[in-house]
Amino acid sequence: MQYLKVFASVLFTVALVYALNRSWDFGKPIPPLGKFLDPFHGFWKNAERKNRPPEEISLPGLAEEVSIVYDSVLIPHLYAKNEKDLFFAQGYITAKYRLWQMEFQTHAAAGRISEIIGAGAIDFDRGQRRLGMVYASQNSLVEMEKDSTAKMIAHRYSDGVNAYINSLSYEKLPLEYKLLNYWPEPWTPLKSGLLLKYMAKTLNIGDKDFEMTNALKLFGKESLEILYPDNEHVGDPIVDNPNGWKSKPLSIDNVPLALPKDFVQIKPLEQPSSDIGSNNWAVSGSKTASGSPILCNDPHLELNLPSIWYIIHLNAPGYNAMGASLPGAPAVISGFNDSIAWGETNAQRDVVDWFKIEFRDKSKNEYLSDGQWRPAKKVIEKISAKGKADTYDTVIYTHHGPITYDDSYHGDSEKNHYAFRWIAHDPSKELLTFYLLNKAKNHGDYMNALDHYTSPAQNFVFASVNGDIAMRIQGKYPVRRPNEGRFVLDGTKTSNEWQAFIPNNQNIAYKNPSRGFVSSANQYPVDDTYPYYVTATNFEAYRNRRINQVLGNLKSITPQDMMKLQADNFNLKASESLPGWLKMLDSTKFTVEEKTGYQKLKGWDFNNSISSEGASYYEAWLRAIYPMIWDEVVESKISLPAPTAYVTIKLIKEKPGLSFFDIQATVEKETASDVVRKSFSDGVKEIGKWKEEKKLNPEWADFKDSYIQHLARLEPFSYHVKHGGNGSIVNAHNKRNGPSWRMVVSLEKNGVKAWGVYPGGQSGNPGSPYYYNMIEVWTADHYFDLHFNTSATSMRPFALSSSIIKSN
Amino acid sequence: MKFLIQTLATLIGCCIVQYFLPWWTLALVAFAVGYYFNTTGIVSFAAGFIGVGILWLAMAYYIDSSTQSVITSKVSRLFPVNIFMFMVLVGGLVGGFASLSGTLVKGKKMARY
Repeated sequence: MQYLKVFASVLFTVALVYALNRSWDFGKPIPPLGKFLDPFHGFWKNAERKNRPPEEISLPGLAEEVSIVYDSVLIPHLYAKNEKDLFFAQGYITAKYRLWQMEFQTHAAAGRISEIIGAGAIDFDRGQRRLGMVYASQNSLVEMEKDSTAKMIAHRYSDGVNAYINSLSYEKLPLEYKLLNYWPEPWTPLKSGLLLKYMAKTLNIGDKDFEMTNALKLFGKESLEILYPDNEHVGDPIVDNPNGWKSKPLSIDNVPLALPKDFVQIKPLEQPSSDIGSNNWAVSGSKTASGSPILCNDPHLELNLPSIWYIIHLNAPGYNAMGASLPGAPAVISGFNDSIAWGETNAQRDVVDWFKIEFRDKSKNEYLSDGQWRPAKKVIEKISAKGKADTYDTVIYTHHGPITYDDSYHGDSEKNHYAFRWIAHDPSKELLTFYLLNKAKNHGDYMNALDHYTSPAQNFVFASVNGDIAMRIQGKYPVRRPNEGRFVLDGTKTSNEWQAFIPNNQNIAYKNPSRGFVSSANQYPVDDTYPYYVTATNFEAYRNRRINQVLGNLKSITPQDMMKLQADNFNLKASESLPGWLKMLDSTKFTVEEKTGYQKLKGWDFNNSISSEGASYYEAWLRAIYPMIWDEVVESKISLPAPTAYVTIKLIKEKPGLSFFDIQATVEKETASDVVRKSFSDGVKEIGKWKEEKKLNPEWADFKDSYIQHLARLEPFSYHVKHGGNGSIVNAHNKRNGPSWRMVVSLEKNGVKAWGVYPGGQSGNPGSPYYYNMIEVWTADHYFDLHFNTSATSMRPFALSSSIIKSN
Repeated sequence: MKFLIQTLATLIGCCIVQYFLPWWTLALVAFAVGYYFNTTGIVSFAAGFIGVGILWLAMAYYIDSSTQSVITSKVSRLFPVNIFMFMVLVGGLVGGFASLSGTLVKGKKMARY
């Protein structure tokens, strides 16, 4: 009996320790509780103080000492004695503050998220594998390794990240690893490549070929051009250079478009939001108060925590650049140096095509191409979801690219196989472009740097201390025949494939235009005399016009004027649609609530400011009118593309009798004004419900309820913000997407001055006071001074802390 | 008195060991202390529970107050119960049962010889 008691007690203690030392999954994942809660090593150890003592860190792999000075918001200023040490230090420091995010994002890119969060992510992971994300990154890596500079920066950065990973103990492990109970794996240059491909997926995978193919069959050619025009012909193109395109364009043979006989019955993967876009512009010295150019950039992306951007200053002999970097990739992506500044917005262009594949038989070993059976390559993908046995997926590669959709994935028929041709699968070395931009001295260097850039296609804005301003829409674009790229293509004929690419020197670009500024906001890129066919999923119709209007009118521009423009909340869409819609209403039949709504809208100044109620009523109205008009699209059983807001508003005004205005579910035949009236009532009802539920007035920021979400969707690590703006507004902040980095650079002869802010914080650790300390500064439309001192000693007055890393 | 000394011994012993070694080594310390002190089972369990509980609570409180609850305020929202109490319970149970086991093993030996 006594023995039994002893045995039971010891056994129970051992079992208890075991149970508390491992993670569990009871519907919700439970971290290893003993390990996690232990205040000597567990999550408590991730709590950080505001002040940090100076550090001296010894690491293997450095040639000379690197000084790091942190300014008041924890922006690191890295002073190295050579470039090899500089990129090592960038990798080390970025990992120190952002390791978990870097690895999580590259795991997402590679389709390995289910390893961390479990079986719920398997469909996403399979999609990533079937889009060939790792294949794309490997192709780029091969190209990068061929170039000694690109190879050096990728490897040195990687070494720096690994130096940090190797210094970790459980105590120092980032919080999310402790919570989800896993350990970082070694970093590789392939992972930096994956990160850039993930950006390419966010920005350049936009595509509606399946939906357009169905729309063409269902609605016919004429309606198609009305609903989904390639060019909405609104506002100024990014580069307006009529008859200025002198080089002889490449030409390729025309082939008639062969469309599939049946509707495309697949469930396309989720598309990036059309509100992901960006603004950038540069004004020449002739328009500024200082006489020097000013350059501005604000990329609009999904807003998450830790933030997508990490501000860094990189300094070594011959190298002095500062700005926003992407954690996981070397160099500065949107920034400035002593001589120039640059920034990006998305070019939108269509660099994706889908080819319908015909296999010889069910074995899918061979497929048809120009009457020949070509062998397909099968790649077996292993998906190791956490807490589940490994699952396997076979991805078939054709010469076009991988087959994403088939009977086992998002397709419903054995006959339908679609291969994916994507420019991001091609070999490329974007890292070299950013390295060269970081070091560029003038317009010539900028042009040279961009010649190495393939994907994702971007509008690169430029300004220099010499006084030049420029814009170039850089990417690798197939030469397209009219309408090519809008629909699914027949993959059995090589004549349908991409035949040639637009030469770099014929890409859309210009320098020092007479209007005194360059700007881009994801609008249509070029005037009608450009000799190549241009198409995209969508082009922006409002922000760009507002920006050009303001820039056109401004004189003696100061950096403060530019900050005001980045924060501009004027809703051009509302100003163009609302007055007409209000006139269509019948005020004699209003309910009490409708009367209130009407008055709020009538008195609204078209600004989506934080406290505006008119903005909320307008938004509710838009949300009601869109599905009412496009019920044919929204309720369709086959996938169809969504017409843009611009087209919708234009049709209400110009073609009120169009059959699409008829609501299918009713017997009556509605016209545009019926729909406007009905949707007004519905919108007002929505606001009423919202008021009831929230017990608040429908002020815009509350109604919009913007949310900055932790990457693992952990609510306590996320942030609700009260902020103005919306999609299609210069301050393009809707519920989840918005200006992810705001930068203003004044390129003055006696020293470049710059300001920046982003909705997050420099530390990715939720236990740091610097985790989201910049958010409220950002929502107040304020900026931080980006101190750009060329030595560690001159940074001292602004320093919060400093550290030295040296070789051991 | 013996109870207080055992509690203190567990606390100090665990504190030293935990600075250098993973969390579960506290079980070894509590076991050894339980083995050394010749108390009854219930007293030994209490000493282990309270020794580890106070140690963890003090350490956590120190971290929390010197960092303005920057992490506690977030992580506690991931758990349905108070994070301090939960931590004390987890650490305390391990300390308590390890200590009890030590005492029982010792008791067994004494009975044999």
